[in-house]
Amino acid sequence: MNATVISIFVFIVGITLVITYFAAKRTNSASDFYTAGGGLTGWQNGLAIAGDYLSAASFLGIAGAIALFGFDGFLFSIGYLVAYLVVLFIVAEPLRNLGKYTLADMINARFNAKKVRGAAALSSITIVIFYMIAQLVGAGALIQLLFGIDYIWAVLLVGIMMTIYVLFGGMTATSWVQIIKAVLLMIGTVILSFLVLKNFNFNILEMFTQMKTATPHGEAYLSPGVKYKIPLDTISLMLALVLGTAGLPHILMRFFTVKDAKTARSSVMWATWIVGIFYVMTIFLGFGAAAFVGSDLITATNPAGNMAAPLLAQALGGDVLMSFISAVAFATILAVVAGLVLTGASAFAHDIYGQIIKKGQATERQQMLAARYASLGVSAFSILLAIFAQSLNVAFLVSLAFCIAASANLPVILYTIFWKRFNTTGAVSAILTGLISALVLVSLSPSVMSPEAGAAIFVGDPIFPLTNPALFSVPLGFIGGWVGTMLSKERDLKKYSEVNVRANTGGFRQL
Amino acid sequence: MTKVTTGNGIQSGKNGKEPFHERLPDGIPDFEKIENSSSFRELMRRKKRFLIPTTILFLGLYLLFNIVISYTDWLNATFIGDITWVWVFAFGLFAMTWILVTIYMKRAAKFDEMAKNTLKEFEYDEEETK
Repeated sequence: MNATVISIFVFIVGITLVITYFAAKRTNSASDFYTAGGGLTGWQNGLAIAGDYLSAASFLGIAGAIALFGFDGFLFSIGYLVAYLVVLFIVAEPLRNLGKYTLADMINARFNAKKVRGAAALSSITIVIFYMIAQLVGAGALIQLLFGIDYIWAVLLVGIMMTIYVLFGGMTATSWVQIIKAVLLMIGTVILSFLVLKNFNFNILEMFTQMKTATPHGEAYLSPGVKYKIPLDTISLMLALVLGTAGLPHILMRFFTVKDAKTARSSVMWATWIVGIFYVMTIFLGFGAAAFVGSDLITATNPAGNMAAPLLAQALGGDVLMSFISAVAFATILAVVAGLVLTGASAFAHDIYGQIIKKGQATERQQMLAARYASLGVSAFSILLAIFAQSLNVAFLVSLAFCIAASANLPVILYTIFWKRFNTTGAVSAILTGLISALVLVSLSPSVMSPEAGAAIFVGDPIFPLTNPALFSVPLGFIGGWVGTMLSKERDLKKYSEVNVRANTGGFRQL
Repeated sequence: MTKVTTGNGIQSGKNGKEPFHERLPDGIPDFEKIENSSSFRELMRRKKRFLIPTTILFLGLYLLFNIVISYTDWLNATFIGDITWVWVFAFGLFAMTWILVTIYMKRAAKFDEMAKNTLKEFEYDEEETK
């Protein structure tokens, strides 16, 4: 590590701290803290959504996966992008029209019951924790490698930084850090892609031809099947990716930072273009890393391939570009974990404390205090888990988070908006069935139980064959909601009329 | 129209527990009436006529792609040079996403217009509830 690296790092981190300072001065109410006062514009929120989405798993993970596995790595990009259509067409606008701070608010617009809110908060918290551990463990490994410090100190460094953003700046700071990071990430990726293309003489055909011989996989590198060989497993994973985004609590929370459904819609449009363009460029990053760094060096530096993009930057742009890309990766991780802390804290402070324990009667001061204590608690808990999770292979945690989001959150969102007969029992059973079935099936799957020692958490034959259970748990979530609804006689058609009208017209929000 | 807001702002009724249509004073819209009005039904009909087929289309194409590449080698045939059809299909899905987003933005502007008219018809004043 040299002076250039350190100064670029300090500069980028410095900018984010300045933002936090100014945001802190403007964060006076619970609404400021959770949703930046609902005042973001379409492009701002679109960049922030893209920022939340282009996590370390997307940026470092997909570039690495394409470098090591070719087309199979690109599969993630496709799934993550098409998922935005589900968000835009089905979820974004009704969610904005019905909700205030959290997913639970939106479901409670129809079923005003503690158990529904509790179940929704539980699934949000579970998803956030899994997502968070994956990000923090990845962050720890990256910082460890870049700075040459111990893993524990690396996790603590990231953890303390994210806590500062959330604690002082709330959603305003988190959003702006996210926006700036998204811009920097796009700039860095464009520069890298340009350099890669230049090395292929700006000839895409030539690039593909060269890739046939550039990796140990030979021609197979350009075709599906290098990494994902079991058809049902691939389909299950891809199902989780495309349906999960619409149920991810930290993405859903972004729709409450804008003033109305129209702005929510335009922010999804912005996010779709930004994320889509980014994912096209992941091909150049991955191909470039495979061709100009080589898979031996990539896997030697980090077995999961997470260092492919920084190594590529070094190979093509030297230390300065490498430092810039690494600093952007660092900012990416910080911004994403800050968003996750905020989402987890809102589930605890707003849903569980504010609405369930205090029955919506907490004062503004109490709400703010609760939100800050909850942020501290979520931060400390996830830092602790990340320290213990160091040796685990956590790559599957992100896809598990997508799977729970698709199985526990998506069915209840769809039923709440579209099904007249749906009721309180159905809402609770939809969430719990999706959540529990995803967790149980994963714990019996090859991700957790493997006959090979060291490949998973336990040694043994997996009872459930698929690494990602979405193919079963998503239908189970829907069936759970249906069975629960039918078992209870309760129905409130008048209330559904209200929800239906409000969700589709955007009127009567404050009633 | 009387403005009634509770602590969390999204719930209805004075104590945040009861549905408002049983508790609020006169002048509050009858949601069932709005739901059954011809303008709201027309809005829902148009929305569904667009959203249901397109959702089936994009999810169908996406799943079809994954099934085809998982079970067959059909897409491994050459398109141009060393670029195979699997890349072409993948880019097709990217293009599909962008095209559908653009089409939806146009349609949604129309849906907004219709929703606004419905609200006007029931004398809903936007400013009052913001």
